[in-house]
Order: sequence, then C-alpha cells, then structure tokens
Amino acid sequence: MSAGAETGPGAGGPSEAPSVPIHLRAARASDVPALVPLLLRLKRLNEEFDPLLKVREDAEAQAETILRAQLDDPKAVILAAEGVGADKDKVVGFVRALVRERPFYTPEWEGVILDIYLLPLYRRRGVGEYLLRETSAALKAKGAGVVTAEFPAQNEIATRFYAKRGFRAIQQLHARSL
Amino acid sequence: MAESTVAPVENGRVGRRSSRSRRSSAAREKRKTDALGRRAVELSRYYHGKVETVPKVPVRSLRDFALWYTPGVAEVSRAIQADPALAFDLTGRWNTIAIITDGSRVLGLGDIGPEAALPVMEGKALLFKWLGGVDAVPLPIVTKSAEAFVATVESLAPAFGGINLEDIASPKCFGILESLQARLPIPVWHDDQLGTAAATIAGLLNALELTGRTVRGVRTVLLGAGAANLATARLLLALGHDPHHLTLVDQRGILHAERNDVDELMLRNPWKYRLALRTNGGGRTGDLASALAGADVLLAASTPDPNTVRPEHVRAMARSPIVFALANPVPEIWPEAATAAGAAIVATGRSDFPNQVNNSLIFPAVFRGVLDARARAIPDEIVLAAAQELARRAQDHGLSASHLLPTMEELDVFPHVAAAVGDAAVTLGIAGRRRSHAEFLERARAVMGRSARLVRALARARLTPPLPSARVLREGTGP
Repeated sequence: MSAGAETGPGAGGPSEAPSVPIHLRAARASDVPALVPLLLRLKRLNEEFDPLLKVREDAEAQAETILRAQLDDPKAVILAAEGVGADKDKVVGFVRALVRERPFYTPEWEGVILDIYLLPLYRRRGVGEYLLRETSAALKAKGAGVVTAEFPAQNEIATRFYAKRGFRAIQQLHARSL
Repeated sequence: MAESTVAPVENGRVGRRSSRSRRSSAAREKRKTDALGRRAVELSRYYHGKVETVPKVPVRSLRDFALWYTPGVAEVSRAIQADPALAFDLTGRWNTIAIITDGSRVLGLGDIGPEAALPVMEGKALLFKWLGGVDAVPLPIVTKSAEAFVATVESLAPAFGGINLEDIASPKCFGILESLQARLPIPVWHDDQLGTAAATIAGLLNALELTGRTVRGVRTVLLGAGAANLATARLLLALGHDPHHLTLVDQRGILHAERNDVDELMLRNPWKYRLALRTNGGGRTGDLASALAGADVLLAASTPDPNTVRPEHVRAMARSPIVFALANPVPEIWPEAATAAGAAIVATGRSDFPNQVNNSLIFPAVFRGVLDARARAIPDEIVLAAAQELARRAQDHGLSASHLLPTMEELDVFPHVAAAVGDAAVTLGIAGRRRSHAEFLERARAVMGRSARLVRALARARLTPPLPSARVLREGTGP
C-alpha cells in the first residue's frame, strides 16, 4: 500500500525519457479544471490523518483561486502528469511546489513541495519517484538550495516515501485547538 | 450472512407466492421469528447453555486419576515437551478448535460485545460437534484493537488444533485473519469470509454449469463489499475470473480506482482498495443498475431489504442471468420477483426457498478435513477444494435450477467435503498426517458418525432431557 511510487527504476537522469507511464509537463491555465479535483482528493486524504486537517467547505473555490494565482507566480512550480494509452491527455497527477526564502538559515532558499498526488492506478510504478526528481530539479533551477515536503505528521506512507529518498524531519508543526 | 448458520433448518415450504401474499407472509414471518426468539430464551434458561465438557475416558474411581492426572500424566507432559507435535496424539488437541469473537459484528445485531455473543458461539459449537464431530470451545474475548486480538489468539493457540474466527467487524476481520494465518502453525478460518464465500462459489459453479458458462467467461457483479463478498471476489479471481469483468458495488455505487473515497480505502480497508484497483475494467461508474447492464451473475450479500435489487435491474442483465440474493433474514430481492424478471437461477441464504447458500454446508467439513490431515494452514486452495467438492456432491444428487447445492439433510456430503479438504492439504504439502482419499473419507465418517451417535445416546439416556413443553417451562422445573 503506498500513495507514492516506492518501486521502479524511474529515469536514469533528468534528460532521459522516463520509463514511467506518464508524460510530465508544466501545468497550464487550461489544466485548472482537472487539477482542482486532484488537489481536493489530496486534502481529503490529509483529512483522514487529523481532525485539524478538516477540509473547508469552500476548499474547491480556494483551490481554483490559488492554482490560477500560482500558475502566474515565478516562484511556484506546478507540474501536470498526463497518462498514456487510454488516459492520454488526461491529468492523472500533479505536483505543486513553491520556492520561499529562509531569512535566518542557509541555504537561503528552500523549495517546498506542498502537494504531490497521483491517481491510484499510477501508484507504485516509479511515477512518484520521477515526480520528486523532476520537481527538485525545477526548484533548484529557481534557486532553491534545499527541497522540503509538507504533509500530515500521521501520514506514514509519505514519511516512508521521503525517508527512502534521503529526506529527514528538520522542523515540526505541533497544533492544539483553541 | 452467518445468520443462516443458526437458523433452524426447515424444508418443504418451497412455494410460489404472489407479491400480495408475500406482503402478508412478511408479517407472518415476523411473528414466527418473534416466537422463535421467545422460545430460544426460555430454552436457554431451561438448559443453561448448549454445550458442556464431557469425559472421553472411563473413570471407575478416584484411583484412575493416577493415570489421567498426577502422577502418571507427568510422563505424558514430558513426552510433549520433547516433541510438541505429540500434543496432537496424546491430548484432545487434534480435534479441538476455538470459536473466537470480539462480538463486534454478531449476526445482524452489530457490535453487541463478547458477553452477548456467547449464545451464538455456543450454537456454532453445537453445529461443529453435531455436523463435524469437532470439539469447539466458544471463546468470546475482550480486546480493544486488532493487534490485541491477534496477540490474545496467539497466546491461546497451544490448546487448539485450529481457530475459527467469528462475527468480527469488517474491515478489522481481514487484517486479523491475515496476521493469525501468518503467525500460527494451525489452520485459522474466518467463517463470515471463507465459509460464506466457499458456499457461494459452490452454488455459483453449479449455476454456471447449468447455464452453459464458465468462470473465465462471465461478467459478475458483487453487491455489498463486506467480509463475505471481498473474500468471494478474491476467490473468484483465484479461480481465473477475469478481474476486468468483475465489478463490486456498495452503498456508494460501483467500486472503481478513481472513486472519491479510494484514498480513504487505501488507509482504512486496503483489501477493498486493492480490488478497486484491480476490478471493473473499462472503468464503469454509477450505481447498481449501471453495473448490472449486461452482467451474467449477481452475487448480493448486502442489505436485508427485498427492494435492494429491483426487477428492472435483473431485466437489464444478460440472457439467463444468475441471481444470488444472500442477505439474511430477508434477501435483496424475493426469488419469485427475480424469476419473474428473467433470472434463470436464484439462490438465497434461507432454508425455506430452493438453493440455500449456507456456510453450515462448509465449515464443519472443512475443519473435519484440516484436523484429520493435521494441516498447518487453510490456504485459498483448500477453500476452493471444499467449494468444488460441495458443487460436485450436488451434481451427484441431480443438479437442477432448484437443486444447486446439497441441503443440510444430505449428511453424506460432509465427509466427502472433509475428504476433499484432506486431499488438498496433502497435495499442497501442508498435511502433518498424510492419508489416502479413502482413509480421509472413512475417518471423517467415523468421527462425524460417533458425534451424531453421542448426541442421540445422551438424549436416549435422558442426560439431555427432551425439549420441554411450554407448560413445563412455565412451571419452571429445570432438567
């Protein structure tokens, strides 16, 4: 069971064609209607891990607004994964990441992966690995010296996915209702 | 589904009733069920339970206990310490199983807890003894989590030759069964999954035979995605059913890889999640009606409501469709309604219609078989061997649209299924005691026969008093 792609070789390098069953490209404004439901699926998955991650009623409208704004934001990286075969031209996954400044630490710029989601049939086939590598490269190209990922603390699948790829927890976000 | 195992077996009320008389008979059935319930409470008070421990060695005087107990027994213990497998020769372990539940999903009653589950487990133990010659210990346990359940059963295992899990809520039951099967060196069975699935598949195999179909060629819809149907789906795939032509439907409609709750399933019910990814080729979406269009087979194990499956659903299926409406106590569609809508073969979970799909046809024989073979496990191959043998037995008694499966009266079926299970254990290389088919059959007949004689002998000797009249019960004189 995995939300990510824990197995499979992926591509040999960023310049090679991926051996995974997707076509990855920068997202466009015309992708927004397809991206919104995927983003909401991810947020609803997060909801399973903690009551403080309960999805807002206006989340759909928020998703659309934020995606449209970030598509024009030079600090954002939004990639769309298209399927192949019967799923050709269908967006089956996406990544949303942002380059932000770390005012007190070095490296000064971090690329934070906010969302990474794949439809179930594309999981466990090396796609997640490929998405992570391509996103890291895009963030680096925008000046990031470190790549981070935000996800619910209880999401053990994500924890394992990143740990296997050399990530470690460097900050924690603890919460209590008021 | 398991409700049928404790329902009294009655035959001969098979009839074609109009829907009007059906409505009045629904009220009659309610009254009848209520009356049975009242009588069951009175009898439970009269007999103070349904099973007890009975010696199997002669006891002439206290002196014999120097053999049955200390000091003689110490040597028996030393022998088992030296070779633990000897427990199966020197104690009753070879024939003793535990019926273990946490009471989290009992019959149609829901999460009633372990104390309230005990009468049901006692009834199951009685069925095990009477039909299978198996000494079954009713054992409801208090546990907070699946992990605690597994650890508890693991610690109980030395007393038993097998474990029958019963009435555990889905999806918790799947993980518990998998963990125990992986950890214990004895057969572990969850009757609500495997017993019901095996009986369903036995009936289905014969229904396919009668309508000129094969498992590999049909399109099947499973309505309900609980313990029974998830096991049935897995076993159908093991039999070679094309996963693309298998569609599961639950309260949220067709189960498919892009359904909105699929990520939740990944976390909470990975068994259902895996089927969501594997089945329903072509990506059908929608409700039961969309799933059934053109389907050959409907296996419903869902809601006890006769309007769950509508006649128009059946009419939308392929030519000569097969409809199993297995909810208890009321099927998802009344058999006459399904037949009127074109169903070629109809089965239910009830004994008062033809073709009762009843797990009681399976579990006593499966345990007889694995115990006689001293099987270390019950893999799916054994479950399928039991289903296939049950199907063959019905064929021997004359297969027809109204005789799809043996009835509970055809007692010779049980040793045959037991022997088929024993054979499968030997073939799979998991039998601790290899026997020929004839030996398995003879042994099963002997053990089952002795058990039935024992029950009759106790009754003849008035050690189990006859069923009391209502007057005796009113006067409150116990046995």
